[in-house]
Amino acid sequence: MTDAVHEVPGRASTHPRLTGTVRHVLLIAISFVMIYPILWMLSGSLRPADELFGGDAGLMPSQVTLQAYSDGWFGLQVTFGRFFANSLIIAVLATVGNVLAASLVAFAFARLKFSGQKFWFALMLGTLMLPYHVTLIPQYVMFRSLGWVNTWWPLILPKYFAVDAFFIFLMVQFFRGIPRELDDAARMDGCSPWRIYRKIILPLSMPVLATAAIFSFIWTWEDFFGPLIYISEMSQYTVQLGLRSFIDSSGTSSWNELFAMSLLSLVPIFLIFLFFQRLLIEGIATTGMKR
Amino acid sequence: MNTTLIGRRRLLGAGLAAASLPLFDFGPAMAQQPNSIRMMWWGGDERARRTNGAIALFKEANPEVTIESESMGWDDYWARLATQVAGGNAPDFIQMDYRYMVEYARRGAIRPLDEYLGKELQIADFGQVNLDSCSVDGKLYGGNVGINAFAVFSDSAAWEEAGLEAPSYDTTWDEFSAKCAAFTAGNTRTRMRATADGSGQEGLFEVWLRTQGKALFHPDGTLGYDAADAGRWFAYWADLRKSKGCVAADVQALYKNSPETSPLVVGRAATDFVWSNGFESYQKLVAAELSLVGAPVLEGGEPGQYLKPSQMFSISETSESPVQTARLINFLINEPAGAKILGLDRGVPASPKIREAIKPDLSEAGRKVVDFISKVTPQVGPLPPSPPQGAGEVNALLIRISQEVGFDVSTPEQGGVNLVDEAAAILRRT
Amino acid sequence: MAAHNTVATSNARKQVAAGGWLWGAVRRNGAGYLFLAPWLIGFFCLTLGPALVSLYLSFTNYDLLTTPEFVGMQNYVRMATADPKFIASIRVTLLYVALSVPLKLAFALAVAMVLNRGMRGLPFYRAIFYLPSLLGTSVAIAVLWRQLFAADGMVNSLLAQFGVEGPSWISNPNYSLYTLVVLSVWQFGSPMIIFLAGLRQIPVDMYEAASLDGASPARQFFRITLPLLSPVIFFNVVIQTIEAFKAFTPAFIISGGSGGPINSTLFYTLYLYQEAFSYFRMGYASALAWVLVVLIAVFTAFSFLTTKYWVHYDD
Repeated sequence: MTDAVHEVPGRASTHPRLTGTVRHVLLIAISFVMIYPILWMLSGSLRPADELFGGDAGLMPSQVTLQAYSDGWFGLQVTFGRFFANSLIIAVLATVGNVLAASLVAFAFARLKFSGQKFWFALMLGTLMLPYHVTLIPQYVMFRSLGWVNTWWPLILPKYFAVDAFFIFLMVQFFRGIPRELDDAARMDGCSPWRIYRKIILPLSMPVLATAAIFSFIWTWEDFFGPLIYISEMSQYTVQLGLRSFIDSSGTSSWNELFAMSLLSLVPIFLIFLFFQRLLIEGIATTGMKR
Repeated sequence: MNTTLIGRRRLLGAGLAAASLPLFDFGPAMAQQPNSIRMMWWGGDERARRTNGAIALFKEANPEVTIESESMGWDDYWARLATQVAGGNAPDFIQMDYRYMVEYARRGAIRPLDEYLGKELQIADFGQVNLDSCSVDGKLYGGNVGINAFAVFSDSAAWEEAGLEAPSYDTTWDEFSAKCAAFTAGNTRTRMRATADGSGQEGLFEVWLRTQGKALFHPDGTLGYDAADAGRWFAYWADLRKSKGCVAADVQALYKNSPETSPLVVGRAATDFVWSNGFESYQKLVAAELSLVGAPVLEGGEPGQYLKPSQMFSISETSESPVQTARLINFLINEPAGAKILGLDRGVPASPKIREAIKPDLSEAGRKVVDFISKVTPQVGPLPPSPPQGAGEVNALLIRISQEVGFDVSTPEQGGVNLVDEAAAILRRT
Repeated sequence: MAAHNTVATSNARKQVAAGGWLWGAVRRNGAGYLFLAPWLIGFFCLTLGPALVSLYLSFTNYDLLTTPEFVGMQNYVRMATADPKFIASIRVTLLYVALSVPLKLAFALAVAMVLNRGMRGLPFYRAIFYLPSLLGTSVAIAVLWRQLFAADGMVNSLLAQFGVEGPSWISNPNYSLYTLVVLSVWQFGSPMIIFLAGLRQIPVDMYEAASLDGASPARQFFRITLPLLSPVIFFNVVIQTIEAFKAFTPAFIISGGSGGPINSTLFYTLYLYQEAFSYFRMGYASALAWVLVVLIAVFTAFSFLTTKYWVHYDD
């Protein structure tokens, strides 16, 4: 897949050099506008507290200081280190659950035969459309009666039951693309479905598993609504909740600290973006994931 | 893809290893020992600094007790407290407001403190009035943290610069609006106006109603005013907005009931309306010297102001360490060591003993507050009946309707009608 | 899982004598249902069960502390006749959907078209444009937005350089929703990537033939690109609209949870949250949730019904 294939000659023949330059200028301008807010936040986080206000849209601080990072880190009763650790544990456990459960279920739909298969598959697709608000309140009531409010269970456990049908769908699509002859041969050799899943399908599905894992991690990391409802004790907060508390407790004077912590909360996602950009973009392009 | 493959396998392995260990004991549900206290309050930076200081002192004296505290803005506080109470994991130590006390007490969310009276809680010398104001159906539900009265805070220098005198104790409502309009004429500060927009301030609205013999709520829990009253109230502020006497609606909309968001603090107004306990926090945030006086009066009218328990410290029904929490409450409101650190931030202490004890340590601003309470005391009327369930929602409604009038979405008259209609609907429903 | 499987199999084998039919069914379906088990449990306990309970709760008054009290249609009647906040939240949400989705998709398509023509630096641009989508719903970005559009924020200080005094965008009900629309458009990256993938599917020779016939770029766009891309556009419209209906975090952070000023950012989901978790009206909130389902279902059904008029599928 090289880009040259998609060159459209009709247009390019007029003024190739000129239109090319214009296009680049346009795109660079858009890129700049897109990134500017984030750079502004970075610059704000590096300024001394008294410099942030008074309406400066520029990017250059008069003086660079990391004060906001250290002040912000310890700005609440519980340090941001704790919030990061909490978020990390929750996101990793949720990711493991999503990948594990979704791949098992997807294997059943894509590779096994059982009665009612079409029916269940249709139901599964149906749940894709269902907004989670419908199950929110009864789930809350249920977790509450289990004594799980203010624990991480409600944020993690459902993932082990493949509630996010999206990942199942994603994997079913991929598994169906793996040649059937491989399983047939294995079955002839007396392989159990478990061995086929474990030894054939999984190793061949690394790209889709990785994609699912990455998205699962990012979504859990960014989730605000779930922790907002279920977690009330500050020592159990995720980064997103910590940030929200920070907005409350910091006055107009410490916006630079708020910016610093906000920026830090984006770092894991940014790193994933740097290293797995290709997978992310392919994941979206092939499945049309929401973001 | 090779790198991913290895990376993923490693990740998965690590994840599973991690999963097998902490899954069984994470979550704080089991960490709730009888000696741990979780507390929550609303308020700004200054209050957090003071409260955390007092907590540290308590911990020093009681090393076996662990305390986790959190503070937030007013709106957030009530939303979050409600969620936690519903979730069965309310904080042990709850900062309670007069407005919500009945609701929480009748729901069984906070526990009666009578059993601790005379033991962990030594607050008999607060006087019957200050105990009654924290009681529902004859039971005590909170320790009175301080006495409070509604006040007008002003940056007197800004007023003088504009060639005027700041509002004083006997300023009438008419004089007040005339003053504010005049301020604009003499004002030299570009972004500043005379006063914050008080139309969404329930405390001020209440004072205004009471000077006319009305009330926010009747004792039976229905509204104590009618659409015409509310309409006149909104019209009063609409006029001020028109004369540029008070800040524009989009400036007022940023106010979130915390000192940091007040138009007075951010330099957009020379006057704001706040409960007197906020004075020191405001003074800390403003370079100019502030003064405080009573709310405007009505000539020949009734006394509008009253002395209110600023806040109470309550204990949740579900608390597993009520005794320790009661001890902490006592430490904060009735032991000089703790009460000194809190100072006047939550109001003037009800206990005469504590008032004496903290006097020498008071800042200039603190002395002004004590002075204010004693000056306003002759002007006060009786404590209004405790507000009905749904009063909190009615407060949110008043703010919204005041914004509708402020942004010219509805006329003052229409605003009055809407307020009364919707408030009545809320009160009927709850 | 492997162990379970063998146990199941050997158990089943013991039953062979008892009934061949049963054993046959188990042998044919056992493995499938074992693999399906996580989802089945999740579906019944965490999706279908709760959904049915929520439907029941929507006909009750329920405050979590006392048992639900059946009130028939009262919640729905109240919504339709006596709840100005409900009406406000519907209005805000529909306005948000109607503005943000078309703008975002138009922008995504325009940029995808510019990017598509095999240009140098494509991976770089694609990455930059995609980044905001990825960071999109985090609290940090909402915080940033709040500050960009504050009275003394970046936008106003830029305007000030042109001598314009901007309003306090986020606290003015005339503008606050638009700041959220801008935030949504800023995240045009993921539909853009889907458009890029779609554009690649269009055979180049169609354009070649068209330009040999002297068709203008505009004509090529309307005659080739749009029709052939219509399934992708349709897909993006459906996905983005559903997402827009469900938006929550930015409005929550920017308005401090109130949906204000004057309910101008009272997204439907925010109202639902307030009813459920600020006022404990779980019954009413459940009714709100079901109305959201109906709204989304009606919209989706409507889009599918219109596809035959504008979505072009290959035979």
